[in-house]
Amino acid sequence: MTRLTQGWLIVLFFLLVSFTLALSTGPVKLSFLSMSPTDRVILFNLRLPRALSSFFVGGGLALAGAIFQGLFRNPLADSYLLGISSGASLGAAVALVLGFTSPIAVFTGVSFFSFLGSLGALALVFYFGSQNGAISTFRLLLSGLGVGLFISSFVAILMIMAEEELKALIFFFLGGFSSSSWETTLLALVFVPVGVLIALYYSRELNVLLLGEETAKSSGVNTKSIQAIYAVLAAFLTSVSVSVAGLIGFVGLIVPHMIRMIFGADHRVLFPLTFLVGGTFLILCDTIAKVIIAPSELPVGVVTSICGVPFFLYLLKKEKGEYGL
Amino acid sequence: MWSAIFSLLAKKREGRIRSLVEMEGNTILQARNISFGYEKSLVLKNIAFSIRGGDFVAIIGPNGSGKTTLLKIILGTLSPMEGDVLLDGKPVLSYAAKERAKKISYVSQEPIFTFPLTVLELVSLGRYVHSNRFKQRPEDGQAVEDALRQTDSFNLRERKLTTLSGGERQKVLIARTLAQTTRFLLMDEPTVHLDIYFQLQILKTLKEICREKKSTVVAVLHDLNLISLFADKALLLKSGECLAFGKVKEVLNEYSIKEAFGVDVATKKDSETEALYFFLRNVLP
Repeated sequence: MTRLTQGWLIVLFFLLVSFTLALSTGPVKLSFLSMSPTDRVILFNLRLPRALSSFFVGGGLALAGAIFQGLFRNPLADSYLLGISSGASLGAAVALVLGFTSPIAVFTGVSFFSFLGSLGALALVFYFGSQNGAISTFRLLLSGLGVGLFISSFVAILMIMAEEELKALIFFFLGGFSSSSWETTLLALVFVPVGVLIALYYSRELNVLLLGEETAKSSGVNTKSIQAIYAVLAAFLTSVSVSVAGLIGFVGLIVPHMIRMIFGADHRVLFPLTFLVGGTFLILCDTIAKVIIAPSELPVGVVTSICGVPFFLYLLKKEKGEYGL
Repeated sequence: MWSAIFSLLAKKREGRIRSLVEMEGNTILQARNISFGYEKSLVLKNIAFSIRGGDFVAIIGPNGSGKTTLLKIILGTLSPMEGDVLLDGKPVLSYAAKERAKKISYVSQEPIFTFPLTVLELVSLGRYVHSNRFKQRPEDGQAVEDALRQTDSFNLRERKLTTLSGGERQKVLIARTLAQTTRFLLMDEPTVHLDIYFQLQILKTLKEICREKKSTVVAVLHDLNLISLFADKALLLKSGECLAFGKVKEVLNEYSIKEAFGVDVATKKDSETEALYFFLRNVLP
């Protein structure tokens, strides 16, 4: 059995375990053997969509991070640090304040505006992060930080101005799955897998792009269109995740690095494993968020950050030039 | 039906290209009065030359004389302000990326290794344009292995790029280009970071593929003696102008080196190979 096969089996095993954990924990104790109608409602209308949401959002965020890192050849890129998530949340906040109130309109309006927001943020970060078409590691990150902070301040202004929608807006800052329903889950359930397939389809081209644009062009890759496809795709995955669960940091940063350290940098392997591990990681984080101070809940973003930031700092300290920092 | 139409169209196109090539003899590449620059300062001024199949051409010139820019224009990733480059009789800019990558490959001067790909993965990327998205073909594996063996880096194949020394990196980058199996190879300082043993090894390999496969190599090189030994032709650049282009013996001598670099050299002819050797003069006070 190769290392890769072992990896797949371990990942799938953990996914199964975390999914089972997510379904079987919560404020109400369910008796799985003889389920009452209430138990059934709790399981199928609350816990199942919540577990699926967290899986696809985690997978989507991790995949978006892997894409941004590969696309910009930058180990510190992810939706959160690049300010793309902020753009998505501003878009979502604007949609909420403008008052798309019916359930279906919230569903489409929020996600659509959030997509526009993330594209706008991406364009700004790209514009300020590049010089003569070249993008440097630090320039891009500083540009992302700047744009992210700038956009977040507008979200703050919106929050002060919009008293009625305040609660919904706060939700976008904290991030979480406590209000997951089938409606929001469906968004992730439909769009994230499409994103995964597109990411996988062009992963060979992204591998070649790791060698730099000039070399990729000379190898036969149509660099402009591949870069455009992946940039829009990562922004799209980010906006879907933000529309479903608000701002959740660090999943996109740490998961791709974990996979790269163990299985290498080939995107054909990196993408599917990153997606699965990202999803599993967020199911686990959400389960922790759900039970650790029960009956109340921690925002899942707090849990991912508590698990994610130490790992991030550890990486930063351990890095010996292998990642070109 | 579609495939029949496509093959018919392709044949027609091939026929047209062949007739153009025949017209100009064995010319594989022709640069026609290329100029390139930014606003007021020209990086390249009116460069013209043509290269035959099977030639090993060295581009030589002081730092900043426009060598890399010239390579990128030949490669077709940079478009000149004036003039054009014909590859197999067709403007290089008119090729689709994939079509071009089957004809011309490139080793860049500043490789980027951000993420830890393995050597095998890197060299396999050279097969991108030939290989299939969904299935692995044995000939791709063979081409990769050949390229690794030609550059004496087969034993490095499981290593991560990020752990290689400068010389090892250069070798596997060249292996990647060889795996692309093009008839035309462009190399920006392929011997940089290599010790004299590996410089010779790489140049021998390149010479071999020129002789045996009738491939054409255009490489930016700095060592006058190695150029004398290995290259058939040389193009001497200074401040974006072509000082001379032709057989190495005719291009490189005491006078042209003095003019291009401002360095005094003496030459001596090797009685066996007739290659010129260069010695530095008037260096120490």
